[in-house]
Amino acid sequence: MIKLFERRTRIALHRVKKKKSPFIYKAYSKKPKHRWLRKRKAQENRFKSAGLIAIMISFLFLASLMWNILSGGYSAFREAKVNLPIEFTPELVEKNAYRKIMQNALLELFPDVISRKDKRALFALISRSAPHDLKDLVEENKDLIGTRQDVWVSASSATSVFYKKRLHEQSKRGGKITSTQAAWITELAQSKHMQLKFNAAFFTNGDSREAENAGMLASTIGSFFTIIICIAMAFPLGVATAIYLEEFAPKNWFMDFIEININNLAAVPSIIFGLLGLSIYLNFFGMPRSSSIVGGMVLALLILPVIVISTRNALQAVPPSIRAAAAALGATPTQVVFHHTLIYALPGIMTGVILSIARAFGETAPLLMIGMVAFIADVPKTMSDPATTLPIQVYLWANNPELGFVEKTAAAIIVLLTFMVLINLLAIYIRKRFEIKW
Amino acid sequence: MAKFENLIRASFLACAMFSVLITALVIASVFSETLRFFSNVPLLEFLFGTEWSPQTALRPDQAGGSGTFGAVPVFLGTFLVTLVAMAVAAPLGLYAAIYLSVYASPNFRSWAKPTLEILAGVPSVVYGYFAVITIAPILRAGGEMVGLSIASESALTAGTVMGIMITPYVMSLSEDVISSIPKTLSFGSLAMGATQSETVKKVILPAALPGIISALLLGVSRGVGETMVVVMAAGMAANLTINPLESVTTATVQIVTLLVGDHEFDSNKTLAAFALGFSLFFMTLILNIVALIIIKRYRERYD
Repeated sequence: MIKLFERRTRIALHRVKKKKSPFIYKAYSKKPKHRWLRKRKAQENRFKSAGLIAIMISFLFLASLMWNILSGGYSAFREAKVNLPIEFTPELVEKNAYRKIMQNALLELFPDVISRKDKRALFALISRSAPHDLKDLVEENKDLIGTRQDVWVSASSATSVFYKKRLHEQSKRGGKITSTQAAWITELAQSKHMQLKFNAAFFTNGDSREAENAGMLASTIGSFFTIIICIAMAFPLGVATAIYLEEFAPKNWFMDFIEININNLAAVPSIIFGLLGLSIYLNFFGMPRSSSIVGGMVLALLILPVIVISTRNALQAVPPSIRAAAAALGATPTQVVFHHTLIYALPGIMTGVILSIARAFGETAPLLMIGMVAFIADVPKTMSDPATTLPIQVYLWANNPELGFVEKTAAAIIVLLTFMVLINLLAIYIRKRFEIKW
Repeated sequence: MAKFENLIRASFLACAMFSVLITALVIASVFSETLRFFSNVPLLEFLFGTEWSPQTALRPDQAGGSGTFGAVPVFLGTFLVTLVAMAVAAPLGLYAAIYLSVYASPNFRSWAKPTLEILAGVPSVVYGYFAVITIAPILRAGGEMVGLSIASESALTAGTVMGIMITPYVMSLSEDVISSIPKTLSFGSLAMGATQSETVKKVILPAALPGIISALLLGVSRGVGETMVVVMAAGMAANLTINPLESVTTATVQIVTLLVGDHEFDSNKTLAAFALGFSLFFMTLILNIVALIIIKRYRERYD
């Protein structure tokens, strides 16, 4: 209404301006003549721009958050690799001396490195895990023994960071590259012996003390185990609770109490659920510490009230006429719920459940309490194995000051946010595709 | 058939009772540990003591057991960080809500609101990283420019980032409140010649005040219970200070530091975490209940 009125006035003013009628023009001109009118106008503008500025600041925060994470993390998806002419000498393979094999190959590239100190600096350019990789290579294919192959091996994290960012000074945060090493890296880069390759290890390895080997497979699997347990527990319980409260519950003080209770439970800080898990699951029931099964059960308690509230909203959205019609045709109350109400409410319920799963997926604090912060290098095989989750992996890496881990942290956040976006998109899809408008 | 009906109903009731069970368990488990803690440490020392050093565990045979548990610095730190957070979130969230519901075109609103709500969906550990990597250096550099020395882990950093995190929450809640004010009120004011801002200040805000206060209270309750941002961006040492430029610690940080890692379950150190947890639970419960009461009263006025 108001908008329409404003628009009409503006159009009228426009016409008036065109005609240049001096009298009306002055009366309606944008600059009010009186001081107090001008003051009010200025006040109005100030207020409006304050609101706009608040929104812009929030956008700015969002943009800088995303920019920081993307710009800091994308580089971790590619790591520097060095192409070494590896000579798989049978004697050395026999003796399991893959380190020596690798070192020989390096010395072949840099024949003028002689002193012990220089050699050690040269070998430090290559990842400490490179000999293991060579061993794996040989065990996979025994024919390699006695041959000479060009093999791409991982560079060390410091080398990789230096190569990517071209830091010409020794970094304060632990990227220790001396000037001789820098010269070698430049030489390798110029002769194309060092290149950036896709960092597959990031997706196939567990955590590691060496930044170049650290990957997030273990924590991703841990996250999925945790979420599966969480859904298995919270989904049936939450939906059943909501159905009872919405469809069957008598109106009395006790049901009011349950309702208030659930609303309050939804606002309890997440860390309190961690304390609960610690004292009940771990100490009372003696369940395995750090395991994804306990993590999932803690998160289930956390999202249970959220699921109940969203499911109730979805059930409320189904018009009472549906229930009445079903009941009039002779359906029992349970049949009304299971054959009609629940079916219509299902898309809404699923949306709510998926959104609360997204919340559980990003939750960290309660899992710290039940010991899911341990260093886990192995991929968990069962749900009672010690595990971490993606957000905890982010937290662990964020605590590591090494430069290689700083970019890994941002990369892990990118992976975490990608999962969050996918979960949310699924929820949006279900809502758009299946939701029934009454 | 009737038997089946009753069975289903009974099992659903059991599920509904489970939520009550959880609350009971939370209270029972946390409260019993808290009671054990207070049998070792006097309640008055916890509430009014000004020194918090649970980590300095002396030898068990020595008198005094382990550390001192005066929680005042911890609560003061929690208060300080939350205050900074609300100083960021309250104006940003409120002005944004007013702009979105009063001035913004429907088109702008339809994409701006979901975009800002992305901020609410980002996991808190990401905010912790953001605080450490981005906000802390910016604030430190800014402080140096005006001659202030800001600690790398300061209440200001943690509070600012927590504020960013709470902003969409406050915005969303207060926007709902403002839009639920009957349009006739503002039309009346506008028809009397008031400008839009005068209408907002003199008509809409007073009418929406209870709802906005409860939105802010819910924001405070989230700030008090928030863990990851403060664990990563605020300090560990319990300083008794109200200077936001210094490092402070919060209840959640202390719970995490006391309980992460190996620990025997009977030490005062561990039990202290439960005492802090219980106070946290109690504080947020009070805040939520007050907010709910305010909302309820407000609702009765316009329906």
